[in-house]
Amino acid sequence: MTEPVRVLSVAPSPAFWVAVVAYAAASAALLVVLGGHKKARPIALALVGIAFVAHATDIGWRGVEHVHPAESVREAIGFLAFIITGGYLVASLRYRLTLGGVVVMPVSLVLLVLARLTPAGTEPEALSGLGRVHIVLATIGVGVFALASALSAIYLAEDRALKKKKFDSAAFKDGGAPIEVLDRISHRLIWIGFPIFTVALVLGAIWTSRLGEGLGRIEYLLAAVTWVAYATLLVARQIYGWRGRRAARLTLEGFATALAVLVIYLIRRMTG
Amino acid sequence: MTGPGAAGELFVVGLSWRTAKVEVREKLAFREDELPDTLRAITQTLPVAEALLISTCNRVEVYGVGTAEAPGRVREYLLRKASVGEALYVHRGPAAVRHVFSVASSLDSLVVGEAQILGQLKAAYGVAGTTGTSGPVLSRALERAFGVAKRVRTETPIARGSANVSSVAVELAARVFGKLAGKSVLVVGAGKMSTLAARHLYSEGAQRIVVTNRSPEKAQALADEIEGTAKPWAELEQLLADADVVISSTGAREPILTRALFKKVTKARRWKPMIVIDIAVPRDAEPAINDLEGVYLYDIDALDKVVQANLAERAKAAEHAGRIVEHEAGVFEQWLRTQGVVPTIRALREHFAHVADAEVHKALDQLGKKELTRDQQRELLQRTVQLVVNKLLHTPTTALRGAPADEASVRAAIVCELFGLEPGEEAAAETVADAPASEQAAERKAQA
Repeated sequence: MTEPVRVLSVAPSPAFWVAVVAYAAASAALLVVLGGHKKARPIALALVGIAFVAHATDIGWRGVEHVHPAESVREAIGFLAFIITGGYLVASLRYRLTLGGVVVMPVSLVLLVLARLTPAGTEPEALSGLGRVHIVLATIGVGVFALASALSAIYLAEDRALKKKKFDSAAFKDGGAPIEVLDRISHRLIWIGFPIFTVALVLGAIWTSRLGEGLGRIEYLLAAVTWVAYATLLVARQIYGWRGRRAARLTLEGFATALAVLVIYLIRRMTG
Repeated sequence: MTGPGAAGELFVVGLSWRTAKVEVREKLAFREDELPDTLRAITQTLPVAEALLISTCNRVEVYGVGTAEAPGRVREYLLRKASVGEALYVHRGPAAVRHVFSVASSLDSLVVGEAQILGQLKAAYGVAGTTGTSGPVLSRALERAFGVAKRVRTETPIARGSANVSSVAVELAARVFGKLAGKSVLVVGAGKMSTLAARHLYSEGAQRIVVTNRSPEKAQALADEIEGTAKPWAELEQLLADADVVISSTGAREPILTRALFKKVTKARRWKPMIVIDIAVPRDAEPAINDLEGVYLYDIDALDKVVQANLAERAKAAEHAGRIVEHEAGVFEQWLRTQGVVPTIRALREHFAHVADAEVHKALDQLGKKELTRDQQRELLQRTVQLVVNKLLHTPTTALRGAPADEASVRAAIVCELFGLEPGEEAAAETVADAPASEQAAERKAQA
């Protein structure tokens, strides 16, 4: 069986531009809601919905052109942004996470733009099935960690506001979610993301060794650090009853290293 | 007078927390069972057509509809009950409308945005209804006031944010736990305020209330009162570990809820979040426990700070609400004015119809008496119409002519406006000069 001709990238689809505009508009609208204009909330959520659909269309379009999410790290980052937006949209149906949206929407926008508009670079080696599965699982795992981290960030903001008795702080400007719920959902998300990320890591290690590369690169080390951080978090939560601030901080630290891995990958591809 | 309606204008006579201290307010206050008789007395002995009486701890007010002297007479009536002279205020017409809208919207309340006043006003309206002293103007004003209150509540954040300690505790619990269901409350000490707060939490869904006190008897008494469970003081550490909300108000000189104790407590409960509300002075809790993982300590000053912040928010909302009330009062005024004009419009229509009917009947009589040629018929028709016009214009014309010099131009202007006329100098003079002559001629012809 011959490998199909590898297409690294295609020009952005019209849906991409719609998504970019919708993400920017949604970010602005959520800021307006946070500023106290509650009537703008349905508009803001509708814009998030439009961004989500446009983003999905863009991914589908690229799939038709043989550039699917697992094709490269660059594509995977675009897919990551998509997962984050979807997760936010689902959570918004239940809770008023305006502050979270103000953080998450620009992040999705930046990731999407990075994924589409940075130079595609060259990818000399053929991508095996193993490599594809690795990329997809790693992306989903990091996407789930990203959502958990967003909740943890809101947790820290709300915890701080409650400790300082600032009921009118931005954390509570638009209702917010109860901190106990934020903590619980963040914990559950890590339970979901961790096994996926673990499998991705193992497959990645096998793939790399098959390619004959060493495991000494900085990004491999950072990926391992991410795994250790979340493993520690789950153990500490489960056995020592960790929760709240400590757990939230570790969640964010783990995500920061995962993000660093993605950025390093991206830079390597761009610089060849 | 709001309009020339028969009932008269809306007015309010009363006092509130703004004008009278509680010692004064309680002198004038009416018991609920006194309301019907008082209302009857006001409507039967005074020139008041409709009346409503509201008596709460913050205000005693009579809303009424009556003649110009009515407010003064109601004032005298109230003064006979209690000599509260200085404290009584009187608003009439538009000012009274604005007042009742403000009261219903809780803009005139001691705690702006509180919800009770609307219920109290509705109850007072109900009493006036069953006593039979509310009428069309009062009902319309009150119904509208309830509508305005609803609008203010939905369009402004005036009722948002807790305005007292108990509500802050509930609001805090909502931010930490979401739902209170399944949560347990521990009351440490036996202060009245902590009892109130515990009850409030319980009514909002908290699962159980545990009471502990140095004196077991007191703990038991309080537990019985609020359907809680009394537990020995010696178990405090365990009780704290089991509680989600702690309300403390002991008379202790030294802090009881110390950092050392809470380090053990938080660890025992695996840092599950807990709210500690300390309403004791001197304080029961060491401020440092607020730094511990999962502990949210609110002492009396912190609670007050939250209350004040919420009240400041409400004050801001009150400005917006004030504009809503102003606008709605304007709309209502407009309605009242048109209500005043309705009888005039009706009379005018009846008068015109009457004049026209009379002339048409005369013409029909003539038609019945003898055969008329087509020319005669045409002449009869023209004459009849002419007669109707002349008869209708007779009184206004006389009034215009006979107007005193200073009023003549005003009357002329009104007529022009009413009939959409734009008289040129000559045309106007001619019309006025001709009218009586043709009128008389037509009259003569008709008689012939």
